[in-house]
Amino acid sequence: MAPIRPELAGRQPSLAAKVAAVPWPLIAVITLIAAIGVMQLHSVAAGAPAPWAERHAGRFALGLIVIVAAALVPLGAWLRLAYPLYAVALMLLVLVSLVGIESMGARRWLGGGGFSFQPSEVMKVAIVLALARYYQWLAPERVSHPLYVALPLAMILVPVVLVLRQPDLGTAALVMATGLGLMVLAGVNFAYFVAAGAGAVLLAPHLWAGLHDYQRRRIEVFLDPGLDPLGAGYHITQSKIALAAGGLTGRGFGEGTQSQLDFLPEKHTDFIFTMLAEEWGLVGALGLLALFALAIAMLWRMAIACESRFARLVIAGNAIVLFLYVFVNVAMVTGLVPVVGVPLPLISYGGTAMTTILAGLGLSAAAYVHRQTRLRRGDVAAWP
Amino acid sequence: MFQVPADDEQLRQRFTRRAFAAGIVSLAGLGVIAGRLYQLQVAERTRFAPLADHNRIAVDIIAPERGRILDRFGAVLSDTTEGYRCEIVPALAGPLSPVLDRLSRFVRIDAAARERILQRARRQRPTLPIIVAEDLTFEEIARINLEAPYLPGVETVKAGRRRYQQTPFVGHIVGYVGGIERLALDDDPLLRLPGARIGKTGIERAFERDLRGVGGTRRREVDARGRIVRDLELVEPKAGRDVVATVDVVLQSRLMIRIARERRAAAVVLAATTGDILAMASAPQADVSALQGGISTDAWERLKDAAGDPLFDRATSGQYPPGSTFKMVTALAALEAGVIGLGETVHCPGAYEYAGHTFRCWNRTGHGACACHRALRESCDVYFYEIARRVGITAISEMGRRLGFGQIYGNGLGVEKPGLMPTPDWKRGALGRGWLGGETLLAGIGQGYVLATPLQLAVMTARLATGRAIQPVIARPVGVDVRPALPLEIKRAHLDAIRRGMLAVVNEPAGTGARAHLDAAVTVAGKTGTSQVGRGGTAWTDQDHALFVAYLPADRPKYAIATIVEHGGGGGAVAAPLAREIMEMVLARDPGCATAYPGRAHAPRAQAPQAVPPRTELGG
Repeated sequence: MAPIRPELAGRQPSLAAKVAAVPWPLIAVITLIAAIGVMQLHSVAAGAPAPWAERHAGRFALGLIVIVAAALVPLGAWLRLAYPLYAVALMLLVLVSLVGIESMGARRWLGGGGFSFQPSEVMKVAIVLALARYYQWLAPERVSHPLYVALPLAMILVPVVLVLRQPDLGTAALVMATGLGLMVLAGVNFAYFVAAGAGAVLLAPHLWAGLHDYQRRRIEVFLDPGLDPLGAGYHITQSKIALAAGGLTGRGFGEGTQSQLDFLPEKHTDFIFTMLAEEWGLVGALGLLALFALAIAMLWRMAIACESRFARLVIAGNAIVLFLYVFVNVAMVTGLVPVVGVPLPLISYGGTAMTTILAGLGLSAAAYVHRQTRLRRGDVAAWP
Repeated sequence: MFQVPADDEQLRQRFTRRAFAAGIVSLAGLGVIAGRLYQLQVAERTRFAPLADHNRIAVDIIAPERGRILDRFGAVLSDTTEGYRCEIVPALAGPLSPVLDRLSRFVRIDAAARERILQRARRQRPTLPIIVAEDLTFEEIARINLEAPYLPGVETVKAGRRRYQQTPFVGHIVGYVGGIERLALDDDPLLRLPGARIGKTGIERAFERDLRGVGGTRRREVDARGRIVRDLELVEPKAGRDVVATVDVVLQSRLMIRIARERRAAAVVLAATTGDILAMASAPQADVSALQGGISTDAWERLKDAAGDPLFDRATSGQYPPGSTFKMVTALAALEAGVIGLGETVHCPGAYEYAGHTFRCWNRTGHGACACHRALRESCDVYFYEIARRVGITAISEMGRRLGFGQIYGNGLGVEKPGLMPTPDWKRGALGRGWLGGETLLAGIGQGYVLATPLQLAVMTARLATGRAIQPVIARPVGVDVRPALPLEIKRAHLDAIRRGMLAVVNEPAGTGARAHLDAAVTVAGKTGTSQVGRGGTAWTDQDHALFVAYLPADRPKYAIATIVEHGGGGGAVAAPLAREIMEMVLARDPGCATAYPGRAHAPRAQAPQAVPPRTELGG
């Protein structure tokens, strides 16, 4: 094997050039989004910076510094870290299934004392890095070779199954969708995905027949919350009422009485969009969506500009993650998809989700800063 | 091949194309969401939104009626009374005190209740209602509704209380409902209603999902003062399902009264083919009606510490060495393994030498030559020492598990203990020592580490009688099918030999269980057990446990029973006659079982003063 010299082909740019190359417009957009989050958390707490708004702001400020720092790290370092990070994430997932903290019937957390975190969050970042790393190594003519399609599929399915068993359907679906999306973008022949889709449609009834009654019931409720009107459906009803109360222009900042007063759950986390839409109306809601769309579009443009497959796929993977978060969260609070517990990036309160999103953006920035770096197959060993 | 592939550039072009497509897909996805927001916030706004800006839409949860619990013949054991209570929602009431003042003019609110309401209001979310008064009279309901405009946030809500029947007899089976201590976020919002109750023990707890039902919702627009502007939508709640307990409350009450006469005892009656628990009793008994009404901490402590632990259900949780009632397991294990033939005899000189120790037969003078049939009939210990040694502990434990020991059945039984089917692995894990050969001999006669609950003994008996893996069942939701139990996969000839042996125990002159013989056309098959638990003293606690298991009618089994009298003495002398009384009770409730059976209702048998049973070593 050739030695690992990922930066061989491109010269390492100077620090000043790197700082100038940081995608500042993207950072400006996400800062704006996070500022909206701080404002909204202020309102959720009935007009007080505590307990959420100030901590949210603090976390984001810290995150910004980390993003810029991560952006300056040479791409080769991230490339080398990709597989080890994936292995660590996988081990943590196994660990959580053995000694995880059980809460509300699911084992998702690791930790002790006052500190706990979800290994599945680490996996969201790690799967993007690992797949990008894999396709950097893989010879382009083999991309659609069955064996080399099976390999990344296994890399996706192992963590997905582990997360499913926690059970955390939402995160499992997110990791699965991100992984498959990356395989599409890596250039895997589209026929595979068409065949897999057709196979899933054909196999579904058989799988269905093999399930236990209680499992079927769970899936039925998942697909149709109306079957369980007081469970998930009840929250959605509350959410819809609050959205309608907001109307076109909203009730005004801090005036979202429907959300403030009523039974809307998780106002500061998963359902924060509802409150924003009640207070700022359709105008405010679409404004925020437009900011997210802008950030996502910027990421795609950044991805296309990169020379190496690794850089392209890292950015693309994070564009997918950001889009899925926003889409699933807002689709959830508007009753388009079942309640799965996915937060709204940079707006919802919560350390883990913020860390995941910012880590992804930091990696994307790093990839973009080093977009001219050419990585060649010979420079990248199979492992690590 | 290891050169930089020429088509890296092609891959890049493909990426660009697909990224472009992905970008469009993501924008389209956000577009769909934008459309949905437009639909909800503008186009269909009136469907959900309040009419005026200061109004809000309240979504109230309507509790469903909890299902009833019935006995197998439909007698009501638990239902919900009709009733109304008065609630107040602080968020709508504004300052609470003036509202409570006005309300107290016609609803009794004493100082303690007032304090409780104000305290609750400080602690919980202002949108959650607080109970002001329960069991309202019709006059109170009328006054509240009449004065409604001056009582913001006050409502009358239909809310009955749980009512229990036959509590002294079935209270420990039915269980009771109580308040909820802690809630998870994704729990049924129903449970957040004030005064919500969930099953705490027994059937109320095990069948909570069936009994509870599905809540309804009512959407109403209210103005800033909480007055209802218009009704928007009503989704009716779905009442919970009725649950039928398998017990026959009449048989159950008779069994409870009979067992209560014993100091510490338990008995179980199963329908042999279905596993339905027809009656189940344990002594001493607690007055569980106090628990159902919500018990004071004091009374609870007293009950918990009472002599003999009355809250402990010996029928499902008492773990006893089964003694000779376990010998069928040993015999089947040996027969199935082929280590002994059906007609093969073992000579019993009254004791058995093994590894330098003497293991005695309960009959010191010895039984002489015993084959399986005689060994069961006369409960010869030496025969079982020998076959236990031949087949080994693992096979015995495995057969024990097949016959229902060493496991928890679930099936809504609530508190259950698994008993113990020991194996060398278990001993190494639990005690850190290796298995000794002599321990196999003891296990072979149901002593040593072997432990079983009375319920498990009844299940074993039902399984032996039917040859099927009968599962005990305490209740079934209405409309759930009964599935037949799977066959045990034990050779017919072997099972028949065991059954003939059990028949001989009761019906042949030399049988140890002759006192369980019914003087009627119903034949009984059974087995005695006397398990040694004392240390040879004369105190009550040094007396042996008396056990008896039986099924009847022997030719077409319908019932399986098991009974144990703690420190009662010999199984044949004490437990067999008790079992006989229980079987008479069963037959008195089943006149169709034997047309010729005269019934003993006209000649109630007083508890015959029994001669002190001869103290036996082991066995029956």
